[in-house]
Amino acid sequence: MYGTPALTHRALDDLIEHAGQDAIDELRRLARPIEGLRVLNLSVTGFGTGTAELLNSSVPLMNDLGLEAQWQVVRASEEDLSVTQDMYRALGGVYVNWTQEMTDRWLRYAQMNAELLTEPFDVIVVHDPQPLALRSFTEDGSARWLAHSHLDLSTAQEDVWLLLRQHLEKYDAIAFDARGFTREDLPVPVRIIPPAIDPNSARNMPLPDDVVHNVLEQYGIDPARPMICQVSPCDPACDLMGVVECWQAAQRRHPGLQLAVVLTTDPFDPAGRSCYEDLARVAHDEPDMTLVSSGMEFGNVELNVFQRAAAIVLQKGLRKGYGLWVADALWKERPCIVAASPGLQEQVVDGESGLVIHSTDECAAAIVRLLDNPDEARALGKKGREHVAKKFLITRYLRDYMHVLTDLHGKK
Amino acid sequence: MLGSVSTTPKSLDAYRPIIGDERVEEIAGLAQRLRGARVLNVNATAFGGGVAEILGTLVPLLNDVGLNADWQVIKGADEFFHVTKAMHNSLQGMYYDWTPAMRDTWLTYNKLNADLFDEDWDFVVIHDPQPAAVLSFLEERTGQRHGKWIWRCHIDLTDAQVQVWDFLRPHVAVYDGAIFTLPDYVMPDLQGPEVFCVAPAIDPLSPKNADLPRETVDEILSRYGVDPHRPMITQISRFDPWKDPLGVIDVYRAAKREVPELQLVMVASMASDDPEGWDWYERTVRRAGEDFDIHILSNLNGVGNIEVNAFQRAAQVVIQKSVREGFGLVVSEALWKGRPVVAGNVGGIPLQIIHGETGFLVSTNEECVDKVLHLLQHEQEAAEMGRRGVEFVRDRFLTTRYLRDYLEIFLHLAEGTPARAAVSGRPTEAQGTVRP
Repeated sequence: MYGTPALTHRALDDLIEHAGQDAIDELRRLARPIEGLRVLNLSVTGFGTGTAELLNSSVPLMNDLGLEAQWQVVRASEEDLSVTQDMYRALGGVYVNWTQEMTDRWLRYAQMNAELLTEPFDVIVVHDPQPLALRSFTEDGSARWLAHSHLDLSTAQEDVWLLLRQHLEKYDAIAFDARGFTREDLPVPVRIIPPAIDPNSARNMPLPDDVVHNVLEQYGIDPARPMICQVSPCDPACDLMGVVECWQAAQRRHPGLQLAVVLTTDPFDPAGRSCYEDLARVAHDEPDMTLVSSGMEFGNVELNVFQRAAAIVLQKGLRKGYGLWVADALWKERPCIVAASPGLQEQVVDGESGLVIHSTDECAAAIVRLLDNPDEARALGKKGREHVAKKFLITRYLRDYMHVLTDLHGKK
Repeated sequence: MLGSVSTTPKSLDAYRPIIGDERVEEIAGLAQRLRGARVLNVNATAFGGGVAEILGTLVPLLNDVGLNADWQVIKGADEFFHVTKAMHNSLQGMYYDWTPAMRDTWLTYNKLNADLFDEDWDFVVIHDPQPAAVLSFLEERTGQRHGKWIWRCHIDLTDAQVQVWDFLRPHVAVYDGAIFTLPDYVMPDLQGPEVFCVAPAIDPLSPKNADLPRETVDEILSRYGVDPHRPMITQISRFDPWKDPLGVIDVYRAAKREVPELQLVMVASMASDDPEGWDWYERTVRRAGEDFDIHILSNLNGVGNIEVNAFQRAAQVVIQKSVREGFGLVVSEALWKGRPVVAGNVGGIPLQIIHGETGFLVSTNEECVDKVLHLLQHEQEAAEMGRRGVEFVRDRFLTTRYLRDYLEIFLHLAEGTPARAAVSGRPTEAQGTVRP
């Protein structure tokens, strides 16, 4: 038995107002043939990641659909953690000196966790690459195995990828968040299951104007002047200094423009720390820039407020990952300007549901353009919400999963 | 120059409707005498923890009242922060093998930070042990001292590992002043600095404490699966043995036998690098079992200031069932929202709760169940307690009192004028009270 995170109550019927009765009926219809299916979702952490957030909403909803879905978190010791973190980095394309000893440790970790798998399941979904080798240490039973990689593996470090690939061979299928995250040399069938937002979460709930105004003022933001907002991990790859540059450039045309940067991670590693220091130094001298981090207990409602209040939501320079905050912002009808990365371009169709930019200059010009043309900005935001309603609501995610689970179950 | 931290501007005037003209004028009067004084606060981290929260309010307020205040963080690599973590824990009573290598690392980085120190200040406040030796190295290098130096100790040193405290002590003995949180925390063998006591405080205008409309509170509860129309009790704390999360569940279960509609919300404040926290989280989840009226939430899942604000506001009773506690400022947060609090009789909690007036102090599960039930069943009395709690916190535990204490300490060190936070020759419980 692994660790079990506490889940929040979620009911399918609460989604009718957002997704429509038809979508809910369809889900119930799709779920009927696999009623009672025992599905185990395994992840490396119960908290603080997009995967954890999605499971927190989707697992209770799968249960409401009549499946017996569970979410468990694999065990790790401190030394395992350093190896699995290195693996995560290498798979994300950051070079790591991967040694035989690391392989050995990784396999020991998988073996230990395989021994903890004691209950019977029909389908086991492994949500992160780190515990993927578990499959290799379990007896061939009746369970079907699905790997769901939320990471972009297209630029994975070769030796680490080859190691992972060996252990992927015994899976029944692999799912990716985006087409652009896949590879040519996959040993098993590929499915694409993009992530999705929960319109009923505190992050997306409607908020009264006075609450939005008060919270902005508590953070030193003037509700009467336009603000642009970027949400990112505190990571040099996210080009946060580039965000500051675009804002400063746009400020020359719109002197009252404010910038809010929300950091979703605390900078633990030296690279993150220096990234924070650079930002803090600028923010220190720029009264119109607000810098907050999740370490300040900045939560879902606050993020909701910042997004709702933003004239424009930016997602500049997110190399890896999906950047699902953009879908949250689009759902609030915010015009979004995003970098040209696979996950972001799924959410923003250039010129239709937002603008896609390729450089800092382009980004600054796009900000000015949207500030100068409020009608265009409004139209993009409106289209953005329609796009999310069609493609990024949790009901769509559940539908994809019903299809995949039905297929896997049928392979028995 | 060390690393700068950016803060949100704040204005003293915004507190006028909350604390009244008299207190605002008193602070303005003190600040007038310190106009333009340059104040530097130095600590180890810009995020997380009570110290960062307090500085995030204090520094902008000092600037607003006319001083010239800054907040900087020390520089260091991982090896330094590993050592400071060990040092911090051992000073709070955990045992560590305090090796010569650890001492050297700590000294090396303090020296490095002292070398980066390139400005003169009228007052320098060094927070906690991590950067404490900056002053000795700076004096060694420059042969002189500019301004008054204050060591602000936020931790309880009374169970400190002796060899670590003995190592640290000479470095803090050279300060002009030392501020502790509680009179009980003052180290008797610290000779040299003048000693002050300043209790922590809450910011009534922060997102965690500012008023929220009732509908928004209810709406937030619903989003987390909590029914706003049924009674709810809550505890907001880390999950560790000292906050007794398992005891909280037992208390809730016993109370639920009498009040079947009762719900429990527990918000775990977790650090991702704290394996013990995970163990306790799991034990708590297991203890909760299949009772879906127990809601276990966590900061790492985006439960932030405003959610905590809403849960505290909506609770019939707030619990803080600590068996060991630092100051336990979360008690004042709840009192400020007009909620009666039932809490462990430990640490700084008895300073915040007057037993029977603003809440109840308890030492056992049975007492806790008894008082929680009493408050659930006597709404009128609970509401009156809540009202008294608000006034009590308004007097003693708001950030404006904290600001006033600092201004008085600065003036005391610079000019010898009296400071209520000064420890010698004054009744210890008087700290934090308002001058008649």
